[in-house]
Amino acid sequence: MDTQWPRWEVFKQDTPSKPHQAVGSVHAADPEHALLTARNVFARRPQAVSMWVVRADDIFSWTKEELLEANLTHITQPQTTNHKPQAFAVFRKTSHKRSMTFVDYVGEVEARSPEEALKKAQATFTDAEALAWWLVPTAKIVKSDPSQETIESWFAPAKDKTYKQQQYYATVGSHVSKFKVGRGVEDEE
Amino acid sequence: MPKYGVPTDPDYNERLAEFEARIQRGEKIEPGDWMPEEYRRQLIRMISQHAHSEVVGMLPEGAWITRAPTLKRKMILVAKVQDEAGHGQYLYHAAETLGISREAMLEALLAGKAKYSSIFNYPTLTWADIGTIGWLVDGAAIKNQTMLAACSYGPYSRAMVRICAEETFHHKQGKEMVLLYAKGTPKQRQMAQDAINRWWWPALMMMGPHDKDSPNTEVLVRWGIKTKTNDQVRQEFINEHAPEILEAGLTLPDPDLRYDEQTGNWLHGPINWEEFWQVVSGNGPMNKERLEARRRAHAEGAWVREALEAYAAKQQKTVVAV
Repeated sequence: MDTQWPRWEVFKQDTPSKPHQAVGSVHAADPEHALLTARNVFARRPQAVSMWVVRADDIFSWTKEELLEANLTHITQPQTTNHKPQAFAVFRKTSHKRSMTFVDYVGEVEARSPEEALKKAQATFTDAEALAWWLVPTAKIVKSDPSQETIESWFAPAKDKTYKQQQYYATVGSHVSKFKVGRGVEDEE
Repeated sequence: MPKYGVPTDPDYNERLAEFEARIQRGEKIEPGDWMPEEYRRQLIRMISQHAHSEVVGMLPEGAWITRAPTLKRKMILVAKVQDEAGHGQYLYHAAETLGISREAMLEALLAGKAKYSSIFNYPTLTWADIGTIGWLVDGAAIKNQTMLAACSYGPYSRAMVRICAEETFHHKQGKEMVLLYAKGTPKQRQMAQDAINRWWWPALMMMGPHDKDSPNTEVLVRWGIKTKTNDQVRQEFINEHAPEILEAGLTLPDPDLRYDEQTGNWLHGPINWEEFWQVVSGNGPMNKERLEARRRAHAEGAWVREALEAYAAKQQKTVVAV
C-alpha cells in the first residue's frame, strides 16, 4: 500500500545570476517541511541562494521524443478547470552533456492550459533545442524566503565547512599520476 | 501510460533499434521516453541496491561519531555520514522516475529482501577502520560511480555526478587519515596495517564477480548503463591504490600482488568468491546486526513522522479556517 508523503521536486539556485535548476526530489508532509528537507539534502555544500519546491503532481512534462510522437497521453494530472489565463514557469533541458541538474528555469508564459503553455514556451524560448520541457503553474511553486537574513541562515553555514571540500585535502600523499607507466618516481607530483 | 517495451510488442524490434541508436549517439534516456522493460528492470535493481548501500553504509561509521579522536575528525565524520544519507535520497529519487515507489524500496530493505553492498556487513573494529573505509571503500565506490556518471539513463547519471563530487571528500579525508597513522607511532602504524589487511579484499569484491561470472554485464554495457566491466573497474582501483599504499610503507595482504611492466597493471592473486557469496546471501559477520539497526531506526523514528503529519494536518486546517 502506498502511504508515503507527496513527492516534491526541488529547484536550487546557485547564485543570483544563475537560473533555478531541478536537482532531485524529496518526500514531505507540507511545503515548509519540503523546503527544509530540500535544504538538508541538496545544500550540504556551497553554493545556494534560493530553493523552490513543487509537488510532482503539479508538473507537466514532455521529452523531445514524446513531442515527436505527439503522444501526450501519459499526462494524468487533472486539467485546470479554471480557464482564465495563468502564469506558467518554464523549465527546459538543452544538453545531453553530463550534469548534476535536469531542467533550467528559462522564464514564464501566460496560458489557459499546460498544452497552450507548452506551445507558447516553444515559440518563445527558441535559442536552443529543447530535449525536455517542464511547465509549472507559478502559483504552485513554494519558494524559500528571499531575505538576506534567511539566505545567510539557510545557506551560509555550508560555506565555512572547508573540510567538506576535496580541495582541503589536495596535497595528501602522492598523486596517482606519479605511479603511471613510463614515469619515474622522480616526476613532479 | 509509461512506455516500457516488451519483446511481444509488435513494434518492439523497431523501437529497440531506435533506442539503441540513441544510446550510441550519446543521448540520455529521460523519464517519459520509450525504453525496454528489461532496461527499466536492470536500472531499478542497480539503483535501489545503490541507494540501500548508502543508507546501510551509514551504520559502520555512525557508530564512531561519539568516539572520534578530535573535534575536527568528529565534524568530518558527521558530514560524511550526512552525505551518505543524502546520496541515498538522490538515488531513491532516480529509481522513482522509473515508476517504483520510495516506500516499496524501503519496505524491501527492511524486510531483508533487498540487496546492498556486501562490504557494509563487515565490522569496524578500530578508528583506523574509519580512515580505511574512506580511502579504500569510498575509493572503490568512486571508481564505480565515475563510470556510472556516464550512464545512458539521465536521472541515474545525474545522481552519480552529484555523488562523485561529494564522495571525493570522503576518499581524500580517509587517505589523509591513514597516511598520518602510517607515519605515526608504532601502535598507530599497526592499527593502519591491520585495517588495510581487513578491508583490502572486501574492497576488491565490491566491484562484483569477474566478468565471466557476471551474467548481466553484457546487456548493461550494450545499453550504456555500465560503460566499463567489473574487472576493468577493479583493475583501475588496484592500479591507483596499490602503489599509494605501498609508498606509505604499508603492505597489502596479497602475496601474489605484482606490477606487470608489460601492461602497467598491478596483478592480484585469487579472490575468495566463496566468502563474497556467503556475505551476499546474508551470512556475513554483520548482516543481521545491520538490518536490525535499520529496522530499529525506522521504528524509533515513527514518532517523528507522526509529529510531522500532525503538524501538516494542523497547517491544512488553519488554511481552510482562513
